[in-house]
Amino acid sequence: MKKNKSMIIIFLAPAVILFCSIFLYPIIRTLVMSFFKIEGVTDPIAEWSFMGLGNYINLFKTSLFRTSMANLGKIWLFGGIIVMSISLLLAVVLTSGIRFKKFFRAVIYLPNIVSAVALATMWLQYVYSPKFGLLKSFFTKLGLETLSKTQWLDNEHKFGALLLAYCFGMVGYHMLIWTSGIERISPELFEAATIDGANKPAQFRYMTLPLLKGVFKTNITMWSVSSVAFFLWSQLFSSVTADTKTITPMVYMYSKVFGAGNSVTEHDAGIGAAVGVILSICVVVVFTLCNKLIKDDELEF
Amino acid sequence: MKKKLLSVLLCAAMVGTLAAGCGSKASDSGSTASSEDSKVSDDTLVYWSMWEATEPQGIAIQEAVDAYTEETGVKVDVQFKGRTGQREGLQAALDAGTHIDLFDEDIDRVNGSWGKYLMDLEEYAKAADYEATANAGLISACREVGSGTLKSIPYQPNVFAFFYNKDLFKQAGITSEPTTWDEFLAVCQKLKDAGITPITCDDAYADCMIGYHLGRLGGEDKVKEIVANGEWDDPIVLQMAQDYQELADKGYFSENIGSNVWPAGQNSELALGEVAMYLNGSWLPNEVADTAGEDFNWGCFSYPAVTKGAIDTATGVEAANYGAQVFAINKDSKMGQQAFDLICKITKGEYDEKLATESNGIPADTSNAEWPALVKCTKPVMEACTTRYSWAVGIESDEDMTPVIKENFIKLMAGTLDAQGFVDAMKAASK
Repeated sequence: MKKNKSMIIIFLAPAVILFCSIFLYPIIRTLVMSFFKIEGVTDPIAEWSFMGLGNYINLFKTSLFRTSMANLGKIWLFGGIIVMSISLLLAVVLTSGIRFKKFFRAVIYLPNIVSAVALATMWLQYVYSPKFGLLKSFFTKLGLETLSKTQWLDNEHKFGALLLAYCFGMVGYHMLIWTSGIERISPELFEAATIDGANKPAQFRYMTLPLLKGVFKTNITMWSVSSVAFFLWSQLFSSVTADTKTITPMVYMYSKVFGAGNSVTEHDAGIGAAVGVILSICVVVVFTLCNKLIKDDELEF
Repeated sequence: MKKKLLSVLLCAAMVGTLAAGCGSKASDSGSTASSEDSKVSDDTLVYWSMWEATEPQGIAIQEAVDAYTEETGVKVDVQFKGRTGQREGLQAALDAGTHIDLFDEDIDRVNGSWGKYLMDLEEYAKAADYEATANAGLISACREVGSGTLKSIPYQPNVFAFFYNKDLFKQAGITSEPTTWDEFLAVCQKLKDAGITPITCDDAYADCMIGYHLGRLGGEDKVKEIVANGEWDDPIVLQMAQDYQELADKGYFSENIGSNVWPAGQNSELALGEVAMYLNGSWLPNEVADTAGEDFNWGCFSYPAVTKGAIDTATGVEAANYGAQVFAINKDSKMGQQAFDLICKITKGEYDEKLATESNGIPADTSNAEWPALVKCTKPVMEACTTRYSWAVGIESDEDMTPVIKENFIKLMAGTLDAQGFVDAMKAASK
């Protein structure tokens, strides 16, 4: 093929220009902003004052930010374990040739189609309600007095309540990714294994799991990205003012950049930018670790 | 050669499409007038509104705008941004030099966060004799937050006070509203004796109770000082905590107070007639109107005065967090007079009344003496206010502390933390 440099440049230019102005410029600007004290996001550069690592140091000195990072860590770890294991289990069950597969898949995926606001309202005002909630009537029917009287949204239980509601909505999405991964594995391999005398659990342990390594990596990355952007559910579980049990770095960043609750507080876009940078670093670290720890290129099928 | 020409043409077409796709449309989804022009012409007045087009306020304002355009011939481009849209987008748009003549939001946010973009309205107000029929307290509040001069015009006034169910008070044999803490305790006891839960609250507004109580004990400046400097060992904090522990110990709070996530308390406890009192803004009766029903008998009283443990700077029932939404004009606007005329159209006479009626809000025009039935009860409280508290009496002035205060205070009300425990927890958290 004859190379035509000017053609390459002309065709690439729009995409490169757009990429630079829409992605690269904001990223670099955010990174630079995180080293300055800036009141409003759009303040002219002349009004910025250099802080060095000051924003980062202040952030880690603030106990509320540390709390928000701890909450995020818990959501990522515990939520990750719950969502990954349940979604994998469901994916394995759905691909095992059961009847009404499409129906069940649609049902499990359904929460992803419903707006998160509607879902959260259902959990908050119905499922967890201490007056007429689903959990209350369920435990009352079972005769479990203490559990039926539990206030699921008080300080002690709020984080768990939030995590459960969030995971409920996320299982379907990750199940689809697992399903596509499992369906990629040729059925002939399983047939051969069956003939060789391997039972279902053994097939899962020695065939499905190793062949799903790549998908596992995808799932972890997707989970990390969506956890880091954890905002809406937190806002819905503590509207107007943030809550120590549900605050995440994203919510903290929002309150710093646009103000918290009804009160008019000082804005600090520099701190907000620093939070953004920290979160990006977290995702990059998780992604790199995943790539280092999980090698999926040794198997070809 | 032919191929080359074709490629260049295709490339140009692609760039053209991309550029067209990225071009900003001056009017957003909610806009009404001139939405077909990508650029608003200079003789059009652009108003960024804090309401949604479908809210009662949005509908009433649109009617006022239409009437204004019909009378004056001035085209108005109303862009309904909503509260979040305004909060996230207005400052950036103003910095970018977007054509915006008029905007509105909460009095403190407009004058505080966006103070540097505001036009001085003193001359316009004088020429129109605006103050003759305006709420004097609110106008002076606007001057106060506008560093001594009038930079915003208040409308949709609101006041933050205790709202109660008059029928439940009657049922418990309570004949007068409490003005002091002792009277308040007596009212709670009577309600409790009659088998009625006295008080409930939602997480979103819990801080307001602690703010008010500390404000009564020491005034707003003191509250802000405590929050800013972490002076949680101040005696008035312990006093406040003891007063609330007493309420908790005596069982005056709803048993769900520890887990009420807004709007559970206001919708399923107060509005359904299960609990008697709720500290909130005068927007409350309208917010719960559908649940409470037309026959709900609203009452309202200012947060009671607290004398035990109060210091010199204490404030009494005459102090309340009252405020309003305000209109402000962009200082770079070339249509200041027209924008001010539109403000007058919305905040005076017929359309002010319409706005109040449709949103069950308080009228801004003092000649509209008839207040909507749902907020009539707030009139004495509003009129008796002489000292203005800011939101939650300043207890939320440090966003890093607000969630911690909220957590510990809700625990105090729920009875899982005692007064000393509250003070200790706050002291530890502010270190």
